[in-house]
Amino acid sequence: MLDVVQHAVEAARRAGAGYADARWVAEETESLTVRNQEMEGIDRALSQGIGIRVLVDGYWGFAASARVTPEDVEHTAGLAVEIARAASRLPTDPVRLSPVEPVTASWSTRVQEDPFTVPLDEKVALLMEASRRMQAVKGLAFGEAILDFYRRRTSFASSEGAAIQQTITNSGGSIAATAIGDGEVQRRTFPGSSRGGLLAAGYERVRTLPLVQEAERVASEAVGLLSAKDCPSEVTTLILDGEQMMSQVHESVGHPLELDRVLGMEEAYAGTSFVKLEDRGTLRYGSDKVTLVADATSDGGLGSFGFDDEGVPAQRVVLVENGVFQDFISSRETAPVLGDGAASAGAMRADGWQNLPLIRMTNINLEPGEGTLAEIIGDTKDGIFMTTNTSWSIDDKRVNFQFGCEVAWRIKDGRLTEMYRNPNYTGITTEFWGSCDAVGGREEWAMWGTPNCGKGQPGQVARVGHGTAPARFRGVQVGVR
Amino acid sequence: MPEPVGPAEARRVAEAALDLPGADAVEVLFLHEWGGLTRFASSHIHQSTSREDTGIRVRAVSEGRTGVAATNEFSVEGARRAAASALEMARVAAPDPLFPGLAPQAPLPDAGDRFDEATARATPRFRADAVAALVGAVEDPAFHAAGAFETSAAEVAVATSQGQFCYAPTTQATISTVVSGGEGGAGISESAAGRMGDLDPERTGRRAFAKASGSQRPRQVEPGRYDVVLEPLAVSTLVAFLAYMGFGGKGIAEGRSPFSGKEGQRVCGEAVSITDDALSPDTLGLPFDFEGTPKRRVTLIDRGVFVSGVHDRRSAKQAGVESTGHALPAPNPDGAFPLNLFLAPGEATLEDMVRTTERGLLVTRFHYSNIVHPIETTITGMTRDGTWLIENGQVTAPVTNLRFTQSVLEALSNVRMVGRDTELAAEFSFAASRVPALAISGFTFSGRSDH
Repeated sequence: MLDVVQHAVEAARRAGAGYADARWVAEETESLTVRNQEMEGIDRALSQGIGIRVLVDGYWGFAASARVTPEDVEHTAGLAVEIARAASRLPTDPVRLSPVEPVTASWSTRVQEDPFTVPLDEKVALLMEASRRMQAVKGLAFGEAILDFYRRRTSFASSEGAAIQQTITNSGGSIAATAIGDGEVQRRTFPGSSRGGLLAAGYERVRTLPLVQEAERVASEAVGLLSAKDCPSEVTTLILDGEQMMSQVHESVGHPLELDRVLGMEEAYAGTSFVKLEDRGTLRYGSDKVTLVADATSDGGLGSFGFDDEGVPAQRVVLVENGVFQDFISSRETAPVLGDGAASAGAMRADGWQNLPLIRMTNINLEPGEGTLAEIIGDTKDGIFMTTNTSWSIDDKRVNFQFGCEVAWRIKDGRLTEMYRNPNYTGITTEFWGSCDAVGGREEWAMWGTPNCGKGQPGQVARVGHGTAPARFRGVQVGVR
Repeated sequence: MPEPVGPAEARRVAEAALDLPGADAVEVLFLHEWGGLTRFASSHIHQSTSREDTGIRVRAVSEGRTGVAATNEFSVEGARRAAASALEMARVAAPDPLFPGLAPQAPLPDAGDRFDEATARATPRFRADAVAALVGAVEDPAFHAAGAFETSAAEVAVATSQGQFCYAPTTQATISTVVSGGEGGAGISESAAGRMGDLDPERTGRRAFAKASGSQRPRQVEPGRYDVVLEPLAVSTLVAFLAYMGFGGKGIAEGRSPFSGKEGQRVCGEAVSITDDALSPDTLGLPFDFEGTPKRRVTLIDRGVFVSGVHDRRSAKQAGVESTGHALPAPNPDGAFPLNLFLAPGEATLEDMVRTTERGLLVTRFHYSNIVHPIETTITGMTRDGTWLIENGQVTAPVTNLRFTQSVLEALSNVRMVGRDTELAAEFSFAASRVPALAISGFTFSGRSDH
């Protein structure tokens, strides 16, 4: 479809655009949900169309349509230009784009087995067996198993001469066990909640996920939580597993370091950030154990690609190094405010063809430290270990947060003891990261995926990645009532 | 502007999918949406978009098994391909013992004309002028406005092989802004309507600016238990989460809802009555659901007593009742959902509520809320864009934002006064809740932020 997007760019230029780019996107999805060995949902979807973005006298316009005949494309390009001209109704400084070398390239997720060609009955059989094993645990109300597959094919062209084709494939699955009783609904999931388990990969990802093998444990823990005590309210040492660290990184590092938020471009909806432009190189974000990167080249990450939706190559950007804030997640429009010829960090992505690219997290990774989870727990005299996110909330500048987890255990003298239900914890972003005194080593580090990151108006959903290891924090308020 | 497809063309394409060899039954959901959104920040327009999409979603049934396929290839060929894919999926699915069959032919209630030609044809220039009027109402250059003005139109149709065909065109316009600046503090104002002519951008800007200028130099207060006056935007968050946690018929039947087994029992204060009514002229809704069942007005809570939840065809069969017309698009594992909630107004003004509060907080809105305990209906979130201390019946000072952790039903059990005026909060397409302000005795704030 390169010819279609190149035609769109030419049409936009003829209509008056100083700069134009166009993306044709076809997104295929397949989703299967089995609950108590009944099919709750099995569906496929295909959505394709073109999105055309233009700059006219330094003002943005964007128009998108599912219609891609030459005449329709010209109409959509003209509409994008009309929108840009209308934006000048409130004059401001014209947009300047940081330079990027236009390339002709193609890139695809490394896929060993196309998930869309694996027979449906094989997928259903896997989910049925996982569900059956969960149901075999006495007292369980629901055993749910799901598979999700996405394939996005993009053709991108810009008036600067870029011509890029990409195919990104995401595959994954998870199980969830729900127990109900005595005023409680308790749920355990594997490998993660919120349709977790998704990575940039083919069906081989599903083949290596032990959904069936973990089913009994997950179901037993859900039932066990019904009779567990509530997590006590106290200030204590907190150890989080890698899955919860994904949410912690996502909400309290990824979002506040998006440069569009810092510049107020998301103020009315998602909010802004406590981080300021002048904080680079000076703000103490966390302890010296804390190093975080935005790495679109990470293997298997949902935020991995060859080029972002502005044609900027994937890259690795250090955000926080040994606790000190270093850099933002940026775009071609926002990078120039950083001065010194700053280039885009390559983080612009759009939700399908229908939406304008926004700064989105790529893979925001917490770099590994040292030691296993068992060693970190073994080195803890008293505290709480929490695992698997259930709930997240953070203020509009990303300062005060509160998270809930599926389950917690008391740590006593280096050992996990009593299990608690309904655990949660709260904190202030820089204080919390400043209290981090251990991050698990490479052997504990894993890539996780957030499939439902929301941002923008109209609302967009992005799939983003987070490589994390378990970590320990001191003096944390847990058990918020 | 894109031209509406119209019922005849929607039916023609749908019939290509309904005529599916090998299927026992077929349902087609048709959706054509278009519109534009002009987004602004720092008092200038920075992101403006326009989009049009036409989609069909086919549910095929074979021996009690169902499969779903969707495409935005709106054509006879696209419909046939989607139908064939749906049937392929149905054939590998397990039979659903609760499958209730597809919607039969049934007359639609009269919801009035909900399509406004001017809104459907709104131009980028019109939206830009409206945003300029809003921004112009921010009188002090030390303040700036951010927000969005959206105009959209949609055609929705549902056809089933059981003979049901329903079609409705709708329009919607929403405008919202957060004004901030000066020496800290911010204010929000937003409104929604089916016709853009019913919105007042300049007034929206004035209201947000008034809040922002009145919340300068906020001071910190300690978290704890406060009496509160919640403005309608804040109340809409409580009602939306209550609906999410509790009003779906499937969750009630499965014991996952705080209302499971509570039919006819008191669940909150007498001052609280909640209904869902898509047919009311005071909301933005469709006269039928996404299975093609006509919408009904449902009383959820009547003067503090839980009456019933909402149903799609499947949960209705499970409960032994009829669908209330609250199905979401298939497949929908979560079941029915009320999209057009109303919290019944009372007689108090906001001034009455403040005047009768000895010490408490006036809250404009909540932000980024989430569930803590679904059965206890406990949620947490932050205040944002205008929170004030009330002392001796008067608003005395703006305060920095606080985190609340609070049971919704407990809060609704402690309602002291209900507002006379209601506001419509549009949540997403075809979904909006209309609620008044509430004065509540005892509301738990568990933490605070620095701004």
